[in-house]
Amino acid sequence: MTDAVLTFADIRQTFPAPGDGAPTRVLDGIDFAVGRGEFVAVIGPSGCGKSTLLQMAAGLLAPTGGEVRHRGRRIAGVNRAVGFVPQQAKLFPWKTLAENVELPLLLRGIGPAERRDRVGAALRAVGLDGFEGHYPGQLSGGMQKRGSIARTLIYEPDVILMDEPFGALDAQTRMVMQDDLQALSRAAGATIVFITHDITEAVVLADRVVVLSQRPSRVLADVAIDLPRPRDVFEPFRNPGFDAAYDAVWSRFRTQIGLPSRGPRVREPAP
Amino acid sequence: MTDLAPSTAAQAPAPRRTIRGYAARLVPLLPGLALIAFWQWASGRLVREVYVSKPTAVAARLYELFATGEIVPHLWTTAQELVLGYAIGVAGGVAAGYALGRSPRLARVFEPYVMAFYGVPKIALAPLFIIWFGIGPGSKIALSAIMVFFLVFYNVYTGVRAVDREIVDLTLVMGANQRQLTRHVYLPAAAPFVMLGMRLAIPYSVIGVIVGEFTSATQGLGLFIHVASSTYDPAGVFAGIAILLAFVLGAGFLAARLERRLLRWRTLSGVGPSEI
Repeated sequence: MTDAVLTFADIRQTFPAPGDGAPTRVLDGIDFAVGRGEFVAVIGPSGCGKSTLLQMAAGLLAPTGGEVRHRGRRIAGVNRAVGFVPQQAKLFPWKTLAENVELPLLLRGIGPAERRDRVGAALRAVGLDGFEGHYPGQLSGGMQKRGSIARTLIYEPDVILMDEPFGALDAQTRMVMQDDLQALSRAAGATIVFITHDITEAVVLADRVVVLSQRPSRVLADVAIDLPRPRDVFEPFRNPGFDAAYDAVWSRFRTQIGLPSRGPRVREPAP
Repeated sequence: MTDLAPSTAAQAPAPRRTIRGYAARLVPLLPGLALIAFWQWASGRLVREVYVSKPTAVAARLYELFATGEIVPHLWTTAQELVLGYAIGVAGGVAAGYALGRSPRLARVFEPYVMAFYGVPKIALAPLFIIWFGIGPGSKIALSAIMVFFLVFYNVYTGVRAVDREIVDLTLVMGANQRQLTRHVYLPAAAPFVMLGMRLAIPYSVIGVIVGEFTSATQGLGLFIHVASSTYDPAGVFAGIAILLAFVLGAGFLAARLERRLLRWRTLSGVGPSEI
């Protein structure tokens, strides 16, 4: 891909084991690229290093081998051109919602008038206008999550990294958030890398699903999801072509979660 | 949309200014009043008054002390020692706790020393401090400061180390430099611990000063209590203690008010330091 925004090139990661044990190999040569405006979901069994990939893209962790490139430049040190939406909302409890959302602009030296306008717009976009003066502890989990997303969208990062952002939400809130994310990302033309362990979520949201294997993980499959948009996140099975897309991902993923294999297929031997 | 309902538990209604509200506030005073009444009754009946004095005698002695101005120089000396000792201890504790909390390298070198000194009973140092700093206010300030220091240090150190690593990383990705990180993350996150240390340290600063004055002094409330007790003046002893009590309660009240104001986000959202 020539216009790749984010490229993972032969990423390897080994974590030292506690004591004298053998170090844990987590990532074993991950290769994939994310194009401009693309929504890529990364899915894999737990402990396969999905979140580690995001930390590398944010420049918070240097890979043991290989390199992550952002617009062709190797990432070394904190990457301020990306936005990070963590699993928990992680709003600053000592700041009001408006101050939380404003912070990235403040840190980037943007003037007060522009900050005020953009905070207003960002809160309206996620449906939180009217809650500017509330502290995070006064907001529900879903509202905190919206705040966290607004805080990331507000500075229009080049790539948005989302680490199982909806994993901790209840099922209904989660669908509403997925729907909102789809609308927001389409409107903003955002490039998104979305970590999840939920196949339905991956298939219904993403343009491409990258399936990772168990530890030490490799890219098992890179499945394009060509479902028309906007997609129905509330009844995913009603999207034409959803079954086939789901099956394409699941058929690769199921080999990784320790289910007994059906028919003559034999489980892939560990590399 | 279900997730748009603000949690109502966080918005507890303000205490109502009703007669019942005031009555509820007075309830905690009852045990104290009962104790004073019992003391008054028992003095001279169960225990000889020369051992325990009695509340009316203490009140009379207090009035006399202030009316004649006898207590004023003692009060003034002790107040100065307290304020200076407390201020130095807090400043040192916050600075050292913050520095060691932020720098794992510094912490590796100095933490064992601080912990070792933490275990030393500071009161045992009182005679040494008199030798080093003289029998004037210096030795009392030093004793009070060192007791306050360790308490504040330990709280601030714990607080800074407990700052959520993920929030720090997020703030860096959002574009913060080190100075901004300190201002927007470390200081506010450590503030509840600083306040807690400062509040806990108030009685310790008093203990430091009074022990110092007990050991050797030319003036001060500790000396006054010491003299009263060695001259069979129990009313004087209790009067001195009552003044100290009033001071600790007053300072504690002010600290709690300050804490509520500075940490408004916590009172509103019900998040304690342990949950940060």
